[in-house]
Amino acid sequence: MAKRELQEINAGSMADIAFLLLIFFLVTTTMDKDTAFVRSIPKKVEVKQDPVEVEERNILAIKANNQNQLMVRGEIFSDPSQISEFILKFYKTNEINNDVANNFPLYSHTSMKQIDDNIRLVESEAEDLENKGAVKSMIEFKYTQLEEWIKKKRALELLGGKDLPEIHFQANIRIEVQQATSYEIFAQIQTEIQEAIYKLRDDKAQELWGESYGMLKRKFDAENGAQEKAKLDLLDILYPARIIEVTPKK
Amino acid sequence: MSKFKKDGKRAMPGVNTSSLPDIVFMLLFFFMVATTSKENDPTVSVTPAVGSRTTDLTPYKQRSEVDFLYLGEPRNKNRAKDFKMGYALSLDNVVQATPDGLYTTNAVGQWKKDKFDQKPARMTSPIEAVITCVKADKTAPTGLIFDIRKELQEVNALTIAYAVRDNGI
Repeated sequence: MAKRELQEINAGSMADIAFLLLIFFLVTTTMDKDTAFVRSIPKKVEVKQDPVEVEERNILAIKANNQNQLMVRGEIFSDPSQISEFILKFYKTNEINNDVANNFPLYSHTSMKQIDDNIRLVESEAEDLENKGAVKSMIEFKYTQLEEWIKKKRALELLGGKDLPEIHFQANIRIEVQQATSYEIFAQIQTEIQEAIYKLRDDKAQELWGESYGMLKRKFDAENGAQEKAKLDLLDILYPARIIEVTPKK
Repeated sequence: MSKFKKDGKRAMPGVNTSSLPDIVFMLLFFFMVATTSKENDPTVSVTPAVGSRTTDLTPYKQRSEVDFLYLGEPRNKNRAKDFKMGYALSLDNVVQATPDGLYTTNAVGQWKKDKFDQKPARMTSPIEAVITCVKADKTAPTGLIFDIRKELQEVNALTIAYAVRDNGI
């Protein structure tokens, strides 16, 4: 039999196939990013407790009613973009010097010695509990406390100076909305809070390390470095974002 | 008069299209890499609210680690009256009455639990840390969002994300 020459495969329709695939991907995918405010929900409490008394100066209540009107600490805000400035004031007023006369949260200044003392104290307490065979949750609680103190120690080491300024532990920003408040307003309040916290941390990061907070976070996301972690922890301790979202009444 | 004379009609040579597939494939790969798959086509219409300084959820591996739920007006306008305040919840393309609506109770909690149980083994994060992203229409009443929040709290899913479109400022 004579040898038959192999025919080349016709690749002319390759482009068509590729186009089909391309169009399929164009239709089924989206370009836009998913951006959101990530918040945590408090754990459900099984045992009913009496609410803890909080001083008025420690609360920054941002309220929005059914007509989408805003009120911050009893004052009506017609322009929501002013809220972030108010939040800055809430954090900054007493940062350097405590002044009891104004209505903003006070700061505590913890020295390295106090932190060391507390670490030792909590450590011994934890050991004590373990020896006594206390409830597991109690021991765990002590250990988380210990961890917090160690974190503070690291923060102060990084910050330098003689003490660690901390806003009052009860200082919080609370969002109080009503049933029919639109989501747009809710998102706006969240934006303003985020904006303020970002500004505070960014300024501090610039001052301490000449680095922007956004850059720091991006670096941490990319490399998971210990140094970035320590810096972010410090900023978190200096300007904690304690946001309480109050469930609206029916 | 000209020096060069066209001698009659000359046929235009055809464009060589042999590299066309390569070009198209390049485009194809670009889109495959640069985009993410649409999770689903929500049966409720959602116009996002805007905000800034948001967290980008895209790094969470192709969205499979995030559970999305949509809250908005149903596309089928005739059905709107069936739902509380006219807003419906879309859980994986199944339209639900809003949390404490007439049809189901605990729909969100049940959905979240089922989702969590079906997660592949490589996702090890506990239910408290699995993000539930609420994509709500900007006109949606916040009361409904808090209803969702309460149900999530009930099943101990403690991380919530409020979706907004970042205006980049």
